[in-house]
Amino acid sequence: MRFLRERLDNGLEVIAEVTDGALSTSIGFFVRTGARDESDDLWGASHFLEHMVFKGTKDLSADEINRRFDWMGASANAFTSEEDTVYHAAVLPSQQHEAVDLLARMMRPALREEDFATEKLVILEEIRMYDDQPPFGADDRCRAMFFGRHPLARSVLGTVESIQSLPVETMREYHARRYSPGNIVLAATGAVDFPALVESAKRLCGNWEQRDVPDRRVPMTAPVTAHLEQIVRPTATLSYAVRMSPGPAGDDDDRFAAKLLSVVIGDDSGSRLYWAMVDSGAAEHASCHHHDFLDAGLMITQLSCDAADVDPLLSRILDVYREAATQGIGQREFSQARNKLAGRVVLEGERPRRRLFHVGLEWSHGGIYRSVADNLRIVEGLTVDDLQRVLTRWPLDGPGVTVLAGPSGAEASSQAAAPA
Amino acid sequence: MTVKQTLFSTTLDNGIVLLGEELPGLESVAVAFHSPAGAIHDGRGRCGLATLSGEMMLRGAGSRSSRQIVEDLEGAGVQWAQAVSMSHASFSGAMVARQLSDALPIYADILRRPLLAEDELENARQMVLQNLAGTEDDPAHRAILSLREIHYPSPWGMPSEGLSADVEGLSIGDVRDFITAHVRPRGAIIAIAGRIDWSDFVPRIEQLFGDWATGAAEAVATGPRGPRVKHVPHDSQQTHIALAWSAPPYHSDDSYEATAALAVLGGGSSSRLFSEVRERRGLCYSVSAGYQTHRDFAMAVCYSGTTAARAQETLDVMLAEIHRLPGTIQEAELERVKARAKSALVMQQESSAARAGAIARQWYHLGTVRTLAEELDRYDRLSVRSIEQWLEKHPIRDLSVVSLGREPLEVRDAVSA
Repeated sequence: MRFLRERLDNGLEVIAEVTDGALSTSIGFFVRTGARDESDDLWGASHFLEHMVFKGTKDLSADEINRRFDWMGASANAFTSEEDTVYHAAVLPSQQHEAVDLLARMMRPALREEDFATEKLVILEEIRMYDDQPPFGADDRCRAMFFGRHPLARSVLGTVESIQSLPVETMREYHARRYSPGNIVLAATGAVDFPALVESAKRLCGNWEQRDVPDRRVPMTAPVTAHLEQIVRPTATLSYAVRMSPGPAGDDDDRFAAKLLSVVIGDDSGSRLYWAMVDSGAAEHASCHHHDFLDAGLMITQLSCDAADVDPLLSRILDVYREAATQGIGQREFSQARNKLAGRVVLEGERPRRRLFHVGLEWSHGGIYRSVADNLRIVEGLTVDDLQRVLTRWPLDGPGVTVLAGPSGAEASSQAAAPA
Repeated sequence: MTVKQTLFSTTLDNGIVLLGEELPGLESVAVAFHSPAGAIHDGRGRCGLATLSGEMMLRGAGSRSSRQIVEDLEGAGVQWAQAVSMSHASFSGAMVARQLSDALPIYADILRRPLLAEDELENARQMVLQNLAGTEDDPAHRAILSLREIHYPSPWGMPSEGLSADVEGLSIGDVRDFITAHVRPRGAIIAIAGRIDWSDFVPRIEQLFGDWATGAAEAVATGPRGPRVKHVPHDSQQTHIALAWSAPPYHSDDSYEATAALAVLGGGSSSRLFSEVRERRGLCYSVSAGYQTHRDFAMAVCYSGTTAARAQETLDVMLAEIHRLPGTIQEAELERVKARAKSALVMQQESSAARAGAIARQWYHLGTVRTLAEELDRYDRLSVRSIEQWLEKHPIRDLSVVSLGREPLEVRDAVSA
């Protein structure tokens, strides 16, 4: 694997992890924009814009874009998060030029009024679809409560009301401001012809006008206070709980140890939470994982179970967290989790389309490149002491926000949200 | 492009089929054990027995406790999975190649020496019941389960996940009898793909499984199928629509024509359903058409989920596009379908787990593994004419229709002869 990079005069960065002999090429435009960059009158605009990018440019219709992707045999899609909007396509190497050409043109969409009106209906369907599904909005609500007035409080999809009231002109202005070349990374992985990639970028993106984009980092100032909220869904069969407490941010070296800690404590199988309540069938699901943003980090606990069991199981989860903090992490469970994580690193590293997201996002967020071997070295270098330090710096049983969603107001006591 | 492909197969004396594919450039290996202990053998009033049995097999085997099985697999860095389908109980794992020799004896214990201890039964049962309760909260999945139930003849339409009322009544004796009868070498497939050493793998498997006594395969009688149209009341914002009609099974040569026709209808973002239902009318977020196959029968499936008020229009447009398909397929549409299918086939070679699954699936359906070159060639031989001829010979009719939501929908044109 080789890592190559070049910066165009207008600020667009072109990077590639080249794997000789790979069977496919993955291409992605990583735009540094998402829900955190929106204001009240733009709520949901980043994600809506992601849909609109597929509706065509001044020279291309939506049908033509769809046909071209299918014609080149691409596996193409896009996603929007709190911090990123990513457009990606995996193709056979012979289609690299075609894929870059189409994606690059799409980055300058027409944003036609009639397309905007039709696609608005699709976005509203997407909002309703997620609203009908577990955890019935508990995750968005929990993040909103956790972050309060911080930009990361905003949900990605927006609301029915915010989408209905969004005018196309506001989206056009948002696009002009956020899709500036200095705010975009063009990344490629697999069998990449890098000189051709740079040539395509210069030809297709070289005339994009550069605009200044302000720094997005906003330190969390207010400490997290314990909070509990409930969403009632009379037709739900199970109850769903989401709990968030602070964890290391994306620029904190302890984020790697936090990820390994979450494998020990709350992985989907073989973890402490698994043996405490999933193995016995007491809970349908119980997990803990770490998620990092540019300037904040979360430890996220998720539970689904019978409504009557929510309160005792949330208490049991906090007991598991307390035991880990007071009695420590055992060498055997530590080694098991480390081997498991190392296995994941290797397996994910074999697929260019998975690597694209790691390589593109790491570079977009911090200008950092790590090979699969670098990642393995980091995982293998972690120690029990590192995990112990994470538990001390970010106590899992400390103040957190909990949101429940289920068939009735499950009688969760304040214990679920309160510190130890 | 040319992809170097090396395939292996052999059959042990007791009937276990071993399949292998070497994938150059990978560090990983994926192995999958498929035992013919699928949910079609559940039996009347015991729906969920195969799933409960599969779960029990992981709860202690040989000298390992339930916990040791998981710790030993994960300690070796194995990304493991267990699943029960209508036809098989499957145990699989993907790992860095050097860990394979540690992992294989664990799987041999699970398949050959499960403890099936009575004191694990309640936990396993509760786990199965929790999964069933979770399914109740997944309306799209429930719509597809209902579609399978009304479309396939019994027992093929039963949910492999089980039925809560039946799972409640299962005993440890049921589980032990089921495993004795169905977890056996005859009909079992062990598939491995990635960085493999076939000359080392075969003797290891012979040593672990060679003395496993075989049993006779048990035929399953198929019964009647359900009504053609069904509404499932569910208080949700969206109504979920699922449609099916019969398609040729995978082993039939014209399954390629069938899957290509379905791809034109709803297989990509330039497909007709995506264009007409989502892009042009904004009726839904997701709409698609696809193909599901058992060994002896298969179905074409269309799905969409949309707001209740627009569900009738969505269903009407879907039916109109389905009935418009014969006689209208364009050359350009077929070229796109071929490009997507061929590209996906080549990219599958980058995943050891995907290939281990694919070669086992092919053996189960075909009794052989097609090479990549054969598959690419078969796609090349698809033509608008061959697809249209197939559609003429197998007209789309007798649709099964499920709606899940607040109000039933009016099904026009679906049950035409």
